[in-house]
Amino acid sequence: MKRATQSTETPQVGRSVPRLESWLKVTGRAEYVHNLRLPGMLYGKIFRSTVAHGRIRRIDVSAAQAAGGVYRVVTGEDIRQLIPEPYFGPAFHDQPILALDKVRYVGEPVAVVLASDPHVAEEAAHLIVAQYDELPAVYDEVEAMTSEAIVHDTLKPAGTFPDLKHVKGKSGTNVALDFHLRRGDAPAALKKAERVFEHRFHTQQVMHTPLEPLVSVAESTESSLTIHTASQSPSFVRIEVARLLGWPENRIRVRVPFLGGGFGAKLYIKLEALVSALSLLTGRPVKVSLTMEEQFFTITKHPTTFRIKTGVTRDGRITARECEVWWNGGAYADIGPRVTQKSGFTAPGPYDIEHVLIDSYSLYTNRPPAGALRGFGIPQLVWAYESHMDIMARELGLDPIAFRRKNLLRDGRPQATGTVLRDVALDKVLDRLAVLMDWEKPFDRGNGTLRRGRGIAIGFKACVSPTTSLAAVNVSADGSCTVYCSTADMGQGSDTAMAQIAGEVLHMAAESIRVVHSDTDVTPYDMATLGSRSLFHMGNAVKLAAEEARDKLDVLRKELGLAADAEIGDIFKKKYGMQAGNVVGTGSYIPTYKSPDANGLTDNATPFWMVGATGVELEVDTETGRVRVTRMVNVGDVGTPINPKIVETQLSGASIMQLGFTLLEKMEFDGNGQLRNASLAEYRIPGFLDVPASLTSEAVVAEQRSGPFGGKGVGETGTFGVSPAIANALHDAVGVRITSLPISAEAVFEGLQGLRA
Amino acid sequence: MSPFELAEPRTLSQALDLLDGEGARPLSGGTALMLMMKAGVFRPRRLVSLAKLKLEGIEPAADGGLRIGAMTTLRALERSDQAFPVLKRTLRTLANVRVRNVATVGGALAHADPHMDLPPLLSALGARVAIAGPGGGRSVPVEALYAGYLENTLKGNELITHLDLPPLGKRRAAYLKCTTRSADDWPSLGVAVMLDGDEARLFISAATDRPTRLAAAESILKTGDVKRAAEAAAEEVHIEGDLHGSAAYKKQLIRVYLARAVHEARNAVH
Repeated sequence: MKRATQSTETPQVGRSVPRLESWLKVTGRAEYVHNLRLPGMLYGKIFRSTVAHGRIRRIDVSAAQAAGGVYRVVTGEDIRQLIPEPYFGPAFHDQPILALDKVRYVGEPVAVVLASDPHVAEEAAHLIVAQYDELPAVYDEVEAMTSEAIVHDTLKPAGTFPDLKHVKGKSGTNVALDFHLRRGDAPAALKKAERVFEHRFHTQQVMHTPLEPLVSVAESTESSLTIHTASQSPSFVRIEVARLLGWPENRIRVRVPFLGGGFGAKLYIKLEALVSALSLLTGRPVKVSLTMEEQFFTITKHPTTFRIKTGVTRDGRITARECEVWWNGGAYADIGPRVTQKSGFTAPGPYDIEHVLIDSYSLYTNRPPAGALRGFGIPQLVWAYESHMDIMARELGLDPIAFRRKNLLRDGRPQATGTVLRDVALDKVLDRLAVLMDWEKPFDRGNGTLRRGRGIAIGFKACVSPTTSLAAVNVSADGSCTVYCSTADMGQGSDTAMAQIAGEVLHMAAESIRVVHSDTDVTPYDMATLGSRSLFHMGNAVKLAAEEARDKLDVLRKELGLAADAEIGDIFKKKYGMQAGNVVGTGSYIPTYKSPDANGLTDNATPFWMVGATGVELEVDTETGRVRVTRMVNVGDVGTPINPKIVETQLSGASIMQLGFTLLEKMEFDGNGQLRNASLAEYRIPGFLDVPASLTSEAVVAEQRSGPFGGKGVGETGTFGVSPAIANALHDAVGVRITSLPISAEAVFEGLQGLRA
Repeated sequence: MSPFELAEPRTLSQALDLLDGEGARPLSGGTALMLMMKAGVFRPRRLVSLAKLKLEGIEPAADGGLRIGAMTTLRALERSDQAFPVLKRTLRTLANVRVRNVATVGGALAHADPHMDLPPLLSALGARVAIAGPGGGRSVPVEALYAGYLENTLKGNELITHLDLPPLGKRRAAYLKCTTRSADDWPSLGVAVMLDGDEARLFISAATDRPTRLAAAESILKTGDVKRAAEAAAEEVHIEGDLHGSAAYKKQLIRVYLARAVHEARNAVH
């Protein structure tokens, strides 16, 4: 092994460093909360609502309480004894730790059985009997706008995050947030337009399906609480649990080891408030591990309806666009209001349009809650606007790529909000996609019952703002380096990237740097690992911290009369007379931001933009409607890749996930809000045989000048274009236009029958 | 999962004794049983493992056919030099290699989930199962094992000991399945075809609640008119819509896949 003090001139950024944790993971030694057992620990099993909307009349836990081996059964009323207002959430304090007074969706947690043996707890949970007075329910996002069924009688805005301070909700309705943007005069421009197109698109409810289901453990004393949790946002968990208990933050410690996938499912606060309350009520450590099936009743992706209307000149110049988007947030707002606004303002797409109108509504319904899922609402929007673009191109007789190129936003031009685009390689991404797809070359369209088609789509996303990251970099007396940051490595490779950034500054090999995982007693504040923000925000904070440590070492060298290239170990030996001491650099990063005005306009909506485009070639079996994607090409603007291999796998992984949301996945509900396919046997995610035989993922040469060493986020970019590229290729192959996801074989077959009729 | 007793008898008669009584079930590969137990839909008091009964093995039969022990794993059959090519082809697309390494032929037959691939194919091939019980043994055609969805005709204390497969001879067979969601999904439809000169044995499953013989289609196929046989097949069975597709769509799949399976059987190389 190399000596820790050995410095290197090898660049650390731009190198495909193998992930630092690979060996631990493949040998089964990486730490996960699922494996954690504490002495005296109780296991909690959740009893869930069987009705979609109802007043709780009675919860009879006597049989469960009497079952052998059961320690205690806890209901919402028991929690209310400990926490008078036991409601949590990042946008609204609307979600009870366990249901109180009402239940609002099938699967909502109502009670918990605690036992030393998880099987005993599970068995006893079957013995609980709950009675409800059922209320009318609403499931559809558009119906929720005018429905008589009201999910929440009172609204409780949270006010925690600066960008959500304005969230109030509309009392007596199901509207949690309505966002409106007016740029120019879209209705007037549409009246004058040479051609007007209007379409309506729909997306379905799907789930994140992390391989490690949600899991949290809490241990407590009367005055302290430690939460071990698979969370993407330990700092938020601490703040929210402290608020619920009325405790100072420093009495609550939140630890996060590795996550077995997150994708937005493990954000803000999920099981943490529950295990905290259970541990404080019992004085014992308490663990709640969800099953894969229970995740369907915890957090999902917003179903949406999107009405889009565009005015265009005969030669294909877009003059005006109206977007009306309804987001089905389910029973609790979670982060839906942020999705509605932050994604909502990109609803017109990456196009230079003078007159824009956006109405975006976050709605409560009696479905499982929806939150952030890899793309934060963007894939739902790109699905609509890029399908719409393709329909228009064909109607106007224009090549789909040429039509987009003609309308694409260029660097230096204002997006719908008025924010001017900087370092956004939209044109480069589109051009590169055209090259990789051999767009200008002849294409084999198949014959007989096998027809072939191809299609493309491009989308963009503004990074959520304003958000804060802090980091510390510690250089020990032997010259070894430790990075402290609260970014959760959930498989995206953030540990490796942060080590590369620190290593680049300190001239150390990334492999020699240790990254300490989130522990709020140790690692500083971070807003959360979400929305592709960490590489940019935490990367900047780590870079600042490393620079401060480097500068302190330089000052010490000078003070001690050492040469400018003296080894770090020699600095400490000289200063302290032995191997002792350390230097700590800290960094904090928050970008500038301006809230939108009454018209939804701002000249500073985001610190950076992500661009993703996908091209697809596919085959259609015209006798069955079955679709096989044979080739998929993803191109992204990720700034300068810090780790090219991880960039490529993030793009390809995201695209395969979105392929599942496009062709396979759908949570199927019956008329009473009961989920019909809450298992991986009946809710199918893509397997290796569904991955296109040809899959290419590439980052264009680009630089995000405000990012660490030119880099920016990439975790979601590969999702943007996949769904509409597939729909567009399908139309190209057989002339069937699907406007509602997923694109099932049966829907394609019905479309083909329609053409034949 | 609720606690249960695990018994590991060494003789068939011990196993049959242990199976006598409420809540006792045989355990072979466990790939289906364990999922049902984890989901809480099946809560046995006792599982009787068949692992030590020496019921595995593939032997040539006197008539040129094969005798396959009930505890033979799907993977062993797939890799056996003696297995018919149509069996090997079918097994290669059945679940995944991890499942095939432990799932057994007897378990795959007894489970009676209509989405499984072997029951319709073995029915088309004219295979019979040998069953042991307290009163002695009996033998039935594979298709007679099924009474409905997840419902077999075995009595509680009966066990499948082996499968008898007649020789293929000059007959030609094919099995095709169609998944409508992921590639490795349970099939929406399985179609098994065996052609013996002008005679045909046609079975479908997955779209029906058990492997179902298509008598009308078989009789039309004698005329050589595949298209009309496929139409008849779609009409002669009762289909219900589910998460795999509507009844009308599954009937379309039957039309298409029956014709394709007949075509494949005609061109099969054995």
